[in-house]
Amino acid sequence: MAAQAPAQAPAAGSPLLGHVTRVSLWSRLYGLGSVYAKTIRDSRLAFLIVAGLLGGIMLAGCKAFAAAYSTPASRLDLQNVIDNIPPVLKGLYSNPVNVQTLGGSLSWKYGPMFGLIAGLWSIVALSGTLASEARRGSLDMVAAAPFGKRRIAIEKLAAHLTGMVAAMAFLAFVTYAGSNAFGTLPGDALPVSAAVGFAAWVGVIALVSGSVAWAIAPFAGRASAAGVAGAVMLGGFVVSGYSTSVPALAPLANLTWFHWTAGDLPLAGQYDWISLVPVAIIAVVLFAVGIEAFDRRDLGTTSAIPVPAMPGVLLGVRGPARRAFGERLPLALAWGIGLAIYAALIAASSRSFADELNKSPDTARLFTTLFKGYDISTGGGFLQLMFVYLGFIVAGLGAATLVAGWASDENDRRLEMLLASPLGRAWWAISGGIGVMAGIAVMTAVAMLGIALGVAMAGSDVLTPVAGALVIGLYAAAVAGVGFAVGGFFRNTIAGETVAVIVIATFLIEFLAPLLNLPEWVHGLALTSHLGQPMVGNWDWYGIVACLVLAVGGTVLGGIGMRRRDIA
Amino acid sequence: MTAVIRTEKLTKSYGSHRGIIDVDLEVQKGEVFGFLGPNGAGKTTTIRTLLDLIRPTSGKAYVFEIESSADPAAIHRRIGYLPGEFALYDRLTGGQTLEYFGNLRGGVDKAYQAQLIERFDLDPSRRFREYSKGNKQKVGLVAALQNKPELLLLDEPTSGLDPLVQQTFFALMRESVKEGGTVFLSSHILSEVERSCDRVAIIREGRIARVDSVDGLRDLAHHQVELRFAGTPPADEFKKLAGVSDIVVEDHLLRLRVLGPITPVVQAAARLGVTDFLSREPSLEETFLAQYGRESAEAGAAAGAAGAK
Repeated sequence: MAAQAPAQAPAAGSPLLGHVTRVSLWSRLYGLGSVYAKTIRDSRLAFLIVAGLLGGIMLAGCKAFAAAYSTPASRLDLQNVIDNIPPVLKGLYSNPVNVQTLGGSLSWKYGPMFGLIAGLWSIVALSGTLASEARRGSLDMVAAAPFGKRRIAIEKLAAHLTGMVAAMAFLAFVTYAGSNAFGTLPGDALPVSAAVGFAAWVGVIALVSGSVAWAIAPFAGRASAAGVAGAVMLGGFVVSGYSTSVPALAPLANLTWFHWTAGDLPLAGQYDWISLVPVAIIAVVLFAVGIEAFDRRDLGTTSAIPVPAMPGVLLGVRGPARRAFGERLPLALAWGIGLAIYAALIAASSRSFADELNKSPDTARLFTTLFKGYDISTGGGFLQLMFVYLGFIVAGLGAATLVAGWASDENDRRLEMLLASPLGRAWWAISGGIGVMAGIAVMTAVAMLGIALGVAMAGSDVLTPVAGALVIGLYAAAVAGVGFAVGGFFRNTIAGETVAVIVIATFLIEFLAPLLNLPEWVHGLALTSHLGQPMVGNWDWYGIVACLVLAVGGTVLGGIGMRRRDIA
Repeated sequence: MTAVIRTEKLTKSYGSHRGIIDVDLEVQKGEVFGFLGPNGAGKTTTIRTLLDLIRPTSGKAYVFEIESSADPAAIHRRIGYLPGEFALYDRLTGGQTLEYFGNLRGGVDKAYQAQLIERFDLDPSRRFREYSKGNKQKVGLVAALQNKPELLLLDEPTSGLDPLVQQTFFALMRESVKEGGTVFLSSHILSEVERSCDRVAIIREGRIARVDSVDGLRDLAHHQVELRFAGTPPADEFKKLAGVSDIVVEDHLLRLRVLGPITPVVQAAARLGVTDFLSREPSLEETFLAQYGRESAEAGAAAGAAGAK
């Protein structure tokens, strides 16, 4: 407990109270002395993860770039490659400015990624900080404390802003230190203003994304707010990035803050501070909307965004497997639709990409050299290049949420009632696992439909990439299996989180191992490195068997584990 | 007397769902006021409106003569609140939870807090998620009581508590009143209200059905009478008497309900040769159930009749 200073005066407005122990200043800033302090305390782990992730990517990027492009000639080659990248590929990166410098190259390749990662954190934090506490029931007691609901909201928000500022300060420091430590050519070492300017851009972009969730959460609840804010952020990024190659998107792009701030590239030496002002104003306005909405609305009362009712046959009240499937189905459909939309967009773009290649034989030769073994101008090839890794991440995170849902039977204390019926623990775990696997199958099937639609629009072979999507589903099933085993043997509270950590770690290994020239065995730790090139029909059967073993074995182990341990 | 709580036609509706309708209440300083009603009657809605956790659709609520939505912080400064359903922070211990809620009120009298913990026999070193339902309730009660508030708003406070701990709670409540505090306690358990409250409001389907002292409610009550006769009970003789209802004949036994003076029934029974006489004054619980059941039945019958037209 935090150190507290004794005081003799009674608390204001409490004539019945005896001598109180006052709350120390430190305790009001960090700990249990105020809503602000407790929110800071509760978000310390998320802060460490996000700051570490952003700092780590920045440091790895600096080191990798300096090692790979240590001569002026190599920088010139890089400039040529980037100049020849067709617009459809440029959509996923930032504006290529001064890419011959370390800062310019990092800004082009990884800049948006920083904004998206920090934005995701802001969305998750700001959609849930009040809504989840209200849902739990603890907010009633907090709100009965002697200050208004408005102050509770402001303190919660201030705590997140503090965390974001601290994370961005750390990012600015790492950016400055990394570029100065690893830079090899003149112009590589970044000035403080560039590092701070970049961190400011990341912070503002993140906070405006979070502010959308913050403003919606009092009305629609946590899940809907996070969903809408996530769609606004990712949609804005994609629309802004692709507005050059798809002119129809240009009017929409003008509405996105990614587009407004596209000229602010501090790492590349190009500053547009003013562009951050309207974005910051929007964030402030949305923060104010969220605070006022929380203050004025009934506590914990939200209006659900209307969705079609589940058909009775799919509700799944006839047994644990069907119940698990029925419960997880809406979430599986949501993940599947997200995957399908993105896959359809990418696959449909392959036609425009092929046209670009036909116009430029040099670029075609360059890509043939870079991507050996398959033709990236086909729908499947383009999906292999542009979709499959994101597909693994999204499907894996989808599996994490489905596993967390499976685990919620125990975490939310339903399991005791379920097991009071003639239902064995092992059978509950396994049948619930089967329900989740069925959900993953639905998610995969919906993604397949999107792929089929997009590839058909591009006029390419449909069957191969659609079959390749099975591998994405198998990967999701494999990581879900690991989650079942962990939940069964240890605790269900960490089952979903374990799956998410595996998916993120796999992504980081795939991302960092080639970048840092790590040994091949390190790269081999990522399950996705053993899955071949499924979108073009190159299947790695060892990896596929490994996925099946993890999926089936993990589910069975989860059942065995549940039989051996106490119910929480 | 000063009204600590006052509501004027307080109404709260949740879209098409009923909340509370035209609730008029007045709770005086130093009272233990029971708020009785079955599940879903509107008890929690009323309390949450008093605290400005939810806003009234119409009408007004005053606590310490401060309108609830005008300055809720001024009200909260002087109250202790236990919600009907709550979940606190799983990863904090009971002690940390109490420290947090004490800090939110600017600090806490540690000696009194320790005394409460001891009297409730609470182990503050365990994490909240590890507590049983009763121990979680104890944490909530200590959090509500530890700042010695002028007004305690307690939504079903004895839920999950064993009888011994309930006694401790009622003793603390009496101490609070002795020191000048006021208690507003909601419950659906009539016996505990009968035992602990000065006055009672009965809420039914969102409306206040009656407000009275505990004794006053009992005066409203009937006598449940059983008469045994050697032969067939003369039921028709009793039907004529004022206040008699619900007559049931079982062999030689006559059961009836008497509202008001029982003397005419006693005299008639003596005249008609009763062999055994049993009269029982019902508990408040039975009174309430009888009243509530009869009104529900009458409402149902009226609705049925209207439907038949």
